[in-house]
Amino acid sequence: MGKLWSLFFVFSAVIAVALCWFAPDWNWWFPGDGKAHSTLGGKIDDLFHLILIIVAVTFIGTQAALGYVLWRGATIKPEEKALFSHGSHSLEVIWTIVPSAVLLFIALYQLDVWAQFRIKGAIRDSHGKMVRPEPVAELTARQFEWRIRYPAKGKPLQPQPQPDDIYSVNELHIPSGRPVEVTLRTDDVQHAIFIPELRIKQDAVASLKIPVWFDALENRDYEMLCAELCGWGHYKMKAKVVARSDADFDAWKEQASAEQFDDGFRKPAEAK
Amino acid sequence: MMFRHSSNHRSVTTAPWQLVCGLALGIASGLAGCGTGPKAEFSYREATQKLIPVARKAIKDTLEDGFGTPHNLVAWERFPVAYGGAKASVVAAAEGVQPASKTISVSVEGDVSKLASGASVLWLTGTRAGEKAAADTVDTYDTKTKTLTWSGSAEPAPGVGDVLIVGFGHALQKGRAVYMKNCMHCHGVSGDGNGSTAQFLNPRPRDYRLGVFKFTSTLSAEKVSRDDLHRVVKYGIPGTYMPSFLLLGEEETKSVVEYVRWLAMRGEFEKRTDDDLGDFTEDSIVDTVKKSKTAFDAAKVAYDATLKAGDKDAVKPDAPIKLTDARKIATEAFAKFQASDLDQAVEDTASFLAEAWTRADDEASRIAPTVPRVADDAASRERGRLLYMSDKTKCYTCHGLLGKGNGAATEDFWKKPGTEELYPRRGLHDAWGNPLQPRNLTLGQYRGGRRPVDVFRRLYAGIKGTPMPGFGKTALKDEEIWDIVNFVMSLQYQSPQPAKTNAGGHVVATDMPEAK
Ligand code: HEC
Ligand code: HEC
Ligand SMILES: [Cu+2]
Repeated sequence: MGKLWSLFFVFSAVIAVALCWFAPDWNWWFPGDGKAHSTLGGKIDDLFHLILIIVAVTFIGTQAALGYVLWRGATIKPEEKALFSHGSHSLEVIWTIVPSAVLLFIALYQLDVWAQFRIKGAIRDSHGKMVRPEPVAELTARQFEWRIRYPAKGKPLQPQPQPDDIYSVNELHIPSGRPVEVTLRTDDVQHAIFIPELRIKQDAVASLKIPVWFDALENRDYEMLCAELCGWGHYKMKAKVVARSDADFDAWKEQASAEQFDDGFRKPAEAK
Repeated sequence: MMFRHSSNHRSVTTAPWQLVCGLALGIASGLAGCGTGPKAEFSYREATQKLIPVARKAIKDTLEDGFGTPHNLVAWERFPVAYGGAKASVVAAAEGVQPASKTISVSVEGDVSKLASGASVLWLTGTRAGEKAAADTVDTYDTKTKTLTWSGSAEPAPGVGDVLIVGFGHALQKGRAVYMKNCMHCHGVSGDGNGSTAQFLNPRPRDYRLGVFKFTSTLSAEKVSRDDLHRVVKYGIPGTYMPSFLLLGEEETKSVVEYVRWLAMRGEFEKRTDDDLGDFTEDSIVDTVKKSKTAFDAAKVAYDATLKAGDKDAVKPDAPIKLTDARKIATEAFAKFQASDLDQAVEDTASFLAEAWTRADDEASRIAPTVPRVADDAASRERGRLLYMSDKTKCYTCHGLLGKGNGAATEDFWKKPGTEELYPRRGLHDAWGNPLQPRNLTLGQYRGGRRPVDVFRRLYAGIKGTPMPGFGKTALKDEEIWDIVNFVMSLQYQSPQPAKTNAGGHVVATDMPEAK
């Protein structure tokens, strides 16, 4: 019976590892095509993979040790004497220092990515140069939708609404290929912006205006969700990020602005 | 009644509510007991419930004939709803095609994919039109030869030129599915604005059953247009709990708009029929009895007095009518009314509604400014301000001198429309009886849309179902309306800034220093 249990525990560890190994093939891994579509996203994935490797080595090691100990216990002969290791000072020191070192390493190693994401307010562009992102929009979450305010074409975003501002709902338009800043706020409870393929997640907190920096590498639409359980309609807070080249972004602004300032007057000839 | 007019209306679905529910909730339905919950039902107006039993039954039957139940929608063809389906007509028979053996050559306009096997076939014209062929369905359709074989009776054989609709009601069904999943929990199964979440919301979700919608592009006497509803569903109503359904997709949005229109027609149809039957309520019977008793008492006093005075010829007043008798009389009167006039009343209501809803989409019903927006400068805003303050518009009485939505009218007791009765609480109310605040114009929140033309239309036709009146055509010239629009739209940017945008004290500076 004891042998069976030791095999069982080893076996479940093997299954866990195998599942993780094949998960990407089954599309059980990262969202979309599995790749990060932002500059920082790639680094976040690298961090994720590094930590995954550390954890995997630890997991496999401890499971192997556990399996060995169980097996030994199950097959031990009655006359054999067990080794009593409880309270071993050296062991305690080893398994305190080694994990601490690993954690310290992770803490230091990830600092740069963290700082880029949250503190520096800038992201390295593809030439490795730091650029100060430009605030492109004020994104206001509310139960249960996203309302967005942009400055008019060629103008900077002002903290207060301006007469020529452009508005959209549930569609965040940004220029692609360069870092941008989005000012995140909420009208009511706590929400969180989550753009899985860009690896962006940030809470929106009442009374705060939180700058979020990111870039989108391709001209395409990305899914955007609310990642903070904000009420019964939380699941409805699905939106999209529309990333386009600068020219297309400006063209969109022109078109949106024309629509928004439409006075409904048509010369008789063009009236439908 | 079902087929009052050949192919008048027609049942289009039998899919159980559980299916829709199952789609929305997935596996949760098993756990949450969705499948075991109450069946979705169209509710009836309070006024319907107050009718005497025979009248109530007549209305309910008429509604069920004309509109069905949530499980079994009936598409009443005379209402201008895009019920969906592909229209086809029989063309000269190709070789090997024998109408007698249920095969015809057709020319199809619209979506050929609707001609899938099993789709319903509705004959609009020709020998098969009407009740007899009600159960026809598509057996096979050959896209190459354009021949259609139907299953159902072979006789009578259709002739060249006959028109049929395949998959009739498809769009309505789709609209229902979209509605049940996205809108029902607020707007209610019947569109009565009484879904399960409604009680927590202010303003309340719209009750479609008055056929009245607030934010329209149409003249004040007209209904809402499809475009208006489409906009509302797509962009939501900012400042309320009506969310944006931008990502719903074009086809879904279109079909849910049709479903909302259909629910509105159903609701208003019920309301108008209730109004027609206003005499046949339990209340009015009780009232009659009471009145008769009072009259009798008065007559009795007079009679006794004359008797005492010695007048032997005084006529004894008739006994007051008894409740059971009054009920019997009303029931008989209703039976008479039902036999002679009810069908006509239903007919009139239906054609009234059909015309009104058709007109709503006419170009002529849409408000289009005759002049472009007047230049938005200080002079125009000042003219607008003076108009706002004038007694011609009285905007200030509701919206307040500073546009904060706190005018003197919010302190008054208002009369219920059409009655002398006052609302129990101060301030304005909308047509649904909900308390209503005039908009705070300094917040820059435009529920009906922030395009200048939207605000223009609000001022031109007013906001339907609310006390906010329209000023277009008569009271104000288009130029003057533009001046007011310019004034109103500038209020948001006047200093001091509204407190809302910089509330909270602790605001993280968004202008971070340049990174090196
Ligand atoms: C969270 C609740 C909620 C949901 C879900 C919801 N609505 Fe609404 N809806 C409202 C409220 C509240 C209003 C009233 C706003 C007002 O009075 O200004 C409204 C108003 C409307 C109006 C009236 C607009 C007018 O001009 O009068 C329409 C039409 C409408 N909703 C359609 C829909 C449709 C279609 C759906 C589903 C796709 C839907 N709503 C889902 C809450 C909701
Ligand atoms: C009898 C009171 C009353 C008068 C007079 C009145 N309003 Fe209103 N107004 C209202 C109410 C109530 C609402 C809110 C309706 C709603 O959302 O249900 C409103 C809403 C508005 C809105 C918001 C529209 C939107 O899309 O959100 C504007 C703008 C407005 N009024 C401007 C005016 C102007 C300008 C005048 C004068 C020309 C005026 N009102 C006169 C009661 C009034
Ligand atoms: Cu949320």
